Amino acid sequence: MNVIECKGLTKAYGRRQAIRNLSFTIEENKITGLIGRNGAGKTTLLKVIAGFFRKTSGEVHVFSYQPFNNLKVSANMIFIDDNITPPTALNLQELLESAASFYNNFDMELAKRLFDYFSFHPKQTHQSLSKGMKSTFNVIVGLAARCPLTIFDEPTTGMDSAVRRDFYRALLKDYIEHPRTIIISSHLLDEMDDMLEDILLMKEGQVLLHSSVLDLQEYAIAVSGNKQVISNWTKTKEVLYKKDIGVGNTYVVVRNELNELDKQQAHIEGLEISPVSIDDLSVHLTSNDKGGIDDVFTRD
Amino acid sequence: MIINSDGTKPIYVQIAEWLETEILNGNIQADEKMYSQYQLADIFNINPATAAKGISILANEAILYKKRGLGTFVSIDAKQIILTKRKDQTLKKLVKDLVVEAEHLNVSESELIQLIKDAGKNDEGDEE
Repeated sequence: MNVIECKGLTKAYGRRQAIRNLSFTIEENKITGLIGRNGAGKTTLLKVIAGFFRKTSGEVHVFSYQPFNNLKVSANMIFIDDNITPPTALNLQELLESAASFYNNFDMELAKRLFDYFSFHPKQTHQSLSKGMKSTFNVIVGLAARCPLTIFDEPTTGMDSAVRRDFYRALLKDYIEHPRTIIISSHLLDEMDDMLEDILLMKEGQVLLHSSVLDLQEYAIAVSGNKQVISNWTKTKEVLYKKDIGVGNTYVVVRNELNELDKQQAHIEGLEISPVSIDDLSVHLTSNDKGGIDDVFTRD
Repeated sequence: MIINSDGTKPIYVQIAEWLETEILNGNIQADEKMYSQYQLADIFNINPATAAKGISILANEAILYKKRGLGTFVSIDAKQIILTKRKDQTLKKLVKDLVVEAEHLNVSESELIQLIKDAGKNDEGDEE
């Protein structure tokens, strides 16, 4: 079953289209990572899916309903980001209780155990928490709610790396026990790509790639070695990224269409082949045409 | 074993190799139930789909067999298949790399053979 279906989806703010003509589907019970540069339209897309924003044109369906102002979608979906500002009159304990009253599947026992593990105090208020603690409290609510569609938009803002690790682990363990559809947008792809099943890569308001992590890990390959040898070798290949190292050496990332024979040949010619992480790949694929940061410092 | 995430080997391949080692060591015997994709996902902190791909590699090589509704089990011939595969593929490839590297370094064949013999001796020495 498809939980999310978008077809030609566009959302504009005035004249500027934050997302344009998006089409994709997300299947039930998968963890999908939403990746893209700042301003690529990730948050806009998530808020349209969550029903917070009204689409401008195209189609969007969540659990087969149009999400905007839809009660069925709201009851089965939770959206966690770092801008949540709960009522200031309630303390953390009361916030958990009110979340539990909203969401049918809310697991108060899990929420309490996480609450204690991360050393929260029931009488604390949300606005008194540090940035990282706010994010941590928010993800506790997001996990314990066990919504069939769980959306995390940059959930780890401000968390230290130990807490981030704990969060990824908690998410995975709870997902294994209670499979559900989860979307996480993040810039820390290296930290969590092992946990994801699919990746949706956005660039300038559009979907650049939507693929399984397993396929993306083999999407590209890096080759380094003598400049001349490389430039001959890449003539027939699709180059995604190129960087000169020192005077006579080059590092290139190409589409991985090599067979074992190609690899052996490259090895014999003295070229070094290495895999490309999904994080690096997404940086290469979403880079703009203005060259790299090095070009900013090159004055000739 | 700790999953090596520097990307030199895909995680699912590492999972498959770890399972093979479990079988070779006798930790899981013939006709015993193999770890499920969810157990592996929990042990190695990875997506269950990645773990499933590791399992399916071994199933395709007849090292594991599936029983509908019950899970995956270790084949009778599992050990033999793994040993043959490692000799034919892994070991041969390592030797090939070794020979190519030796050529790069102008190490003669007899020198290389001597190095291999020495390495064997050192290993024996370590065990004492």
